[in-house]
Amino acid sequence: MIRKLLLICCCVLLISLKGFAQSSKVTGRVLSAKDNLPLPGVSISVKGTSNGAMTNVNGDFTVNVPAGKSTLVVSFVGFVVKQVEVTAGQTGVQVSLTEDVQQLNDVVVVGYNSKKQSELTSAVTVVNASKLKDVTANNVGTMLQGKVAGLQVVNSSGVPGANPEIRLRGVSSVNANQSPLFVVDGIIGGNYDPNDVESVTVLKDAASTALYGSQANAGVIIVTTKKAKQGQTKFEAKISSGFRTADFGKLNVMNSNELYDYQKEFYRDYIVGATDNTYKIDLAKFYSERPLSLRDQNYDWPKQSFKTAPMYNFYLSASGKTEKNDYYVGASYYNEKGTFLNTNYQRINLRANSTYHFSKRLDITNNINLSGSMGKSYDYMDVYYSFLNMPWDNPYDANGQPIYVDGNSTFKWWSRDKINPIHTVKNSDHSYKGFDINYDLGINYRITDWLTFASTNRVAAGFNKGVNYVSPTAAGTYHGTGYLDELNTLNYGIVSNQLLKFNFQLGDHNLSGFAGAAFEGSNNEYSGASGKGLPEGLRVLNVVSNNQLVNGAYDKAYLQSLLSQVNYNYKEKYFLSASVRYDGSSAFAPTKQYGTFPSVSGAWLVSNEDFLAGNNILNSLKLRGSYGVTGTQDIGASRYLGLFSLTTQYNGLVGAVPYQLASPNLTWESKHQVNVGADIGLFNRVTLTVDLYRNDTKNLLLQVSQPLSVGFETKWENAGNVINKGIEVGISSANIRNKDFEWNTDFNINFNNNKIYGLPADIVKTGSWSISQIYRNGGNLYEFYMPKWLGVDAQTGAPVWEKVVYDASGKAVASEKTSDYAQATIQEVGSALPKFQGGFNNSFRYKSFNLRVSTYFNYGNKVFSNNLRFMMNDGHEPYYNQIKLPSGSKVWSGPGDTQATEPSPQNSANSTETSTRYLKDGSYFTIRNIAFSYTLPKQWAKSISMDGITVGLTADNVATFSNFLGQDPQTTIQPGSFATPGVSDFKYPNNRQYLFTVNFNF
Amino acid sequence: MKNKFFALLTLAMVAASSCKNLNVNPSDAISTGTITTTTDGLTNALNGAYALLKDHIEFNGTVDANNMYLRQFYHLSDFASDDIVCGQVTTDPLYYSFSLGHSPSQSNTRYYWYVSYKIITGVNTVIDAIEKSGKTDATTNQLLGECYFLRAFCHFNLVRLFGKPYSVDPNAPGIILRTNLTDEAQKARSTVKEVYDAVITDAEKSATLMTQSRGVQYASQEAAWALLARVNIYKEDNDKAIEYANKVISSGKFTLATKATYPSLFANAKSASETIFCIAFTQTDDYGKFGSIASMIYSDGNSGWGEEYASSSLRDAMSAHPEDVRWSYIVPSKDGAGNVQKKNGIEMYYISKFSFQDGLPNLSSPIMFRIAEMYLIRAEAKAKKNDAAGALTDVNLIRSNRGLEGSLINAVPAGKTALDVVLDEKRIEMAFEGHRTYDVFRNKRTLDKTYWGYHITGLKETDIDLSKKPSGYPNLTVPYTSPRTIYFIPIDEILSNNKATQNP
Repeated sequence: MIRKLLLICCCVLLISLKGFAQSSKVTGRVLSAKDNLPLPGVSISVKGTSNGAMTNVNGDFTVNVPAGKSTLVVSFVGFVVKQVEVTAGQTGVQVSLTEDVQQLNDVVVVGYNSKKQSELTSAVTVVNASKLKDVTANNVGTMLQGKVAGLQVVNSSGVPGANPEIRLRGVSSVNANQSPLFVVDGIIGGNYDPNDVESVTVLKDAASTALYGSQANAGVIIVTTKKAKQGQTKFEAKISSGFRTADFGKLNVMNSNELYDYQKEFYRDYIVGATDNTYKIDLAKFYSERPLSLRDQNYDWPKQSFKTAPMYNFYLSASGKTEKNDYYVGASYYNEKGTFLNTNYQRINLRANSTYHFSKRLDITNNINLSGSMGKSYDYMDVYYSFLNMPWDNPYDANGQPIYVDGNSTFKWWSRDKINPIHTVKNSDHSYKGFDINYDLGINYRITDWLTFASTNRVAAGFNKGVNYVSPTAAGTYHGTGYLDELNTLNYGIVSNQLLKFNFQLGDHNLSGFAGAAFEGSNNEYSGASGKGLPEGLRVLNVVSNNQLVNGAYDKAYLQSLLSQVNYNYKEKYFLSASVRYDGSSAFAPTKQYGTFPSVSGAWLVSNEDFLAGNNILNSLKLRGSYGVTGTQDIGASRYLGLFSLTTQYNGLVGAVPYQLASPNLTWESKHQVNVGADIGLFNRVTLTVDLYRNDTKNLLLQVSQPLSVGFETKWENAGNVINKGIEVGISSANIRNKDFEWNTDFNINFNNNKIYGLPADIVKTGSWSISQIYRNGGNLYEFYMPKWLGVDAQTGAPVWEKVVYDASGKAVASEKTSDYAQATIQEVGSALPKFQGGFNNSFRYKSFNLRVSTYFNYGNKVFSNNLRFMMNDGHEPYYNQIKLPSGSKVWSGPGDTQATEPSPQNSANSTETSTRYLKDGSYFTIRNIAFSYTLPKQWAKSISMDGITVGLTADNVATFSNFLGQDPQTTIQPGSFATPGVSDFKYPNNRQYLFTVNFNF
Repeated sequence: MKNKFFALLTLAMVAASSCKNLNVNPSDAISTGTITTTTDGLTNALNGAYALLKDHIEFNGTVDANNMYLRQFYHLSDFASDDIVCGQVTTDPLYYSFSLGHSPSQSNTRYYWYVSYKIITGVNTVIDAIEKSGKTDATTNQLLGECYFLRAFCHFNLVRLFGKPYSVDPNAPGIILRTNLTDEAQKARSTVKEVYDAVITDAEKSATLMTQSRGVQYASQEAAWALLARVNIYKEDNDKAIEYANKVISSGKFTLATKATYPSLFANAKSASETIFCIAFTQTDDYGKFGSIASMIYSDGNSGWGEEYASSSLRDAMSAHPEDVRWSYIVPSKDGAGNVQKKNGIEMYYISKFSFQDGLPNLSSPIMFRIAEMYLIRAEAKAKKNDAAGALTDVNLIRSNRGLEGSLINAVPAGKTALDVVLDEKRIEMAFEGHRTYDVFRNKRTLDKTYWGYHITGLKETDIDLSKKPSGYPNLTVPYTSPRTIYFIPIDEILSNNKATQNP
């Protein structure tokens, strides 16, 4: 009905216009302002008429215009729309289009649908392939670092194939998953190769994320893979090759001489409480126990265990379009050798995307992604010993073979535990293999002009196998027996979305949206076995002869949903949008499974108002506002049940162990988000995006610490709330832009502040190494809670901590010093979360040369440098090498030594226990990446039948500036096994990477 | 075409909108409500409680091989004694038992505390379910009795480690008693006396409930009596101690190992004649170098760390009798020339009471109660009741089965008391089995660690002169009044339980 009405209206309009018009022609050409090359495919319309035309391959057009003067509207994707006054009959009209920095007309994929940038009512950042790919990595996260305001990317490990941790707008959850939801080609989850990525869209506020409901608390990152852009078949090939080196940061270990001198401190004649102390170093004793010849044996364990390692990445793709079919095929191979001995990673990925146009109404899309990866990981203890073994030991014999060291070895081995990690690594490996398949089926059926049925579905399956193997020839616990441990993981699942989409235009009113249903199901199945007693040379489970153990389990998760969205705009000036999602999750008790997640948002495109039309200073201005609710349910299965685990045995019979406290009312954590923002375009050069947000996460899914005397460490509860408030600023500026030279700057910064409120009581969470963090009303998340280190007692050399004296009302009234660790007051000493972080990126082009420099900064967080517990240990563990003490450090040398910063090895009880001694400022500034490229002249390329050749050099992780003492201030911000957020421990170091890249288009 | 498509479309919509049952159950766990409804389930839960004495369970998000109830019990008890010497300083918290540099945040006490209460919670769940079920058949009663026993056993070990000896101060703060499932999570420490009373109540109840025998790998009536004998001798209720020791002895189920069988007693604990109750380890429970009880005190070169040794103090106490078969558990590490090797200046005398089940260096089924202890408890009680002759009879019974039949003690030697004789014998007989520190301190004696070892902080290898005893170092002796005879309450409890007070 509406359709008919519209049709009639149009007809009437057309007829009436035809009535006045006397047409004649105008011809001309459209060029790009940047390089004066003709632009084909530009659309020309004549204002006030239905007349229009398109430029041909030479950029030429011919269009009918009414008599007299009229206005041509010249528009092309990626360029600023231009209006040109013409007179009927005019020829040779030259129109020069400038590239649109604001990209208001670009289509942005925002989840279940796409919108023009100008129509967006939400905080969204788009990063396209050209900006992503200055960094070569096996994952998109690493490529995004420093490019999106509000996105924190932490590369906490440098192990080959590692993925970074990503946080959007701070940390709004504690124990639930805090990684943004990845959506690939419109479907939640999915596998892809970074080379196949066309663009990445980061959805930041609830206006766009609420559509993902219970999975979107941590934001949504939408990855769109490549599709054909033009008719002709196009090939692209990219070859990158280079090398990586380990970056130890400030973990400089002592060399032979330094350690030798340092250990003299252990021989000071000082017995606490004795009366005849001389406080002199007893060199006679020292030399008899540490011969001078030790100084000649100087083995740099970290340097020798981490070697320069090569890496390659090859990529080849083809794409094209026919009348019936669009296709894209990409293949890539990534090979990275690890810097640590016997580690590596390789991955092969094949992708085929095709859309078949059955008719004007029906499109079917088939996307398939196959990937296989394999590699070798490492054992934590091998890395640990590689840092801590002493330079006085040489792991190689005269023939260059790693020597065997164990408890029965008769020669002197200075390092702890008589372990030679290099021999162990050579005789063991920790390998893994995996493959993964994704098949997407999309059906798009245009039922009427205004109504479309869209179905998107994915089937995914993956299989992974991990193996830990220790040869019987390796020293240590498996000597003579060997050890084999295998774990197989099978995962499979489906995602299915069925939507009806509509879009009406009624005069100046536009109404669009969709409604539909979605289902997600996933299954993981594990099985594994291990055993000892392997014959030398064989490494399968069939040959293990004793200690055979088996394990296996599965888990499942389902989510089913209804969802809808309505968008309205008036004259493309005023925009309103509302959405709702209704989710049911298998993570909760039957009565708590369903939740509703609504959102509303609006925008005013002020620059489309007449009063701003043609304004040369303010080219564009949009004001946005949104409110919405998202949730989190990703905490693992059955957290609400009181459970006994049946994974143990006693005397060969099944044993059941209390495993989880019941929490029947456990339900969604929900995040209520308010966002206001503005997108401003200035001088045709600068875009400025400012967003203010306030995210109130309610009913935090928290593992509430229990008194250990109840037999459980924690209980899952919905306890307390956290507010994240922040401001994000993104500036993109084309500082200089002319034919030969361009200089663009991107700057983004995010200030975020979080506060906890509504907790029934303080919660203190104590993790490995007794490092505690406190959750307190009015406090920060990840707030470290430990005694304050006050240095060294000048008279006794003992460590000193602060003891706060409280009055009867619990108010701190005085501060005392104590050398009794048990008396020291445990107090709040700073959070692991930064106050602000962001990126500052510049790119330059001179003719065909491009240079891009990306930097990233992070300020105001604390990092506990747990390595120092071993590497500044005051003689508690004299069999470990030590870190070079920072300048100004001094070990206590006798009564009255007020310069001393490190306690006396003779009087250092508990000095390495957790305190602020090892809590360091985690701020850093890093030159993330420098990329230089040169596009060969076209003629050269043409001469070998290429359309274009670009060669490039990139350097990643070039330099990090920080006051941190320890391995790396980039440390995990995820609470979990082995890890307290903000605790830096021995890890596989991050890498510097240097690559040479050649890119061919043909 | 159009019709086919709409058929497909309808199918897809129906498939998508059909509601799925969203209830998912875990694959390797059973809900508490379900497991407590069947006898099988309750038996599994009881087995789980025993398993926790030997398993390494996740703590702080990690499964740490150091973390095992028994491993830490022996470290915390015996590394503080004068029977074991430290041969190497370490940042492992086990070192604090030697150096007495205790801290509330040491990971071994934290785990020990946690897993103890997990056992207690497990058995409390079973007790609650059985008592609500109203079942009173013998099998159910046996199950229930074992639960009461384990609760008493765990509470008692906790109060020994974290509370002052009863004989020193029964009103001192003890530990947190968990005797039901309904108490508030935040609960204050009971006094030592209250804990002892609760332990005795539970143990007595368990002795009456347990009428079946499931083998020495499980608690039994005799195990409950043995526990009661031990608790009462600690409490200095000598009559009760004798009464319960007698009950065990007169049960006739256990006999002292002989000179011939004693050297193989510990490797074959599950079938040994002395064993009243042991924790069964099977070959799957061979935790190797990182997680076994033996690995700190014994090594064949690769099997363990072997950094702690039988002390010279203990060896001196045994030196008069090389024929004593108890030497068989003290194994010197010798070099090619037959000399005892030294580690950092300390002679390496390995301890093998936790080795060689099935010939494996790290495997044993540690004995919690054995008959020799009953004789020694009875002897101690008699000595305290001024029955020196009776005490010596029991002591000689032990000696005559240890290769010392030619060196029986027929009269209290000059300068010694009958109690001295009993405690000296017990020290040798029960060495490394987690008794020595308690026996010293509860009898208000001073622990004498005047021998070379790295319990002396700041000691250098070159300071060591084995020809004489160390002098001039602080803390060579530990009086029973020292606050460091017990450990700090773990930091987790203090920070999460406002009512829990810390030890001085």
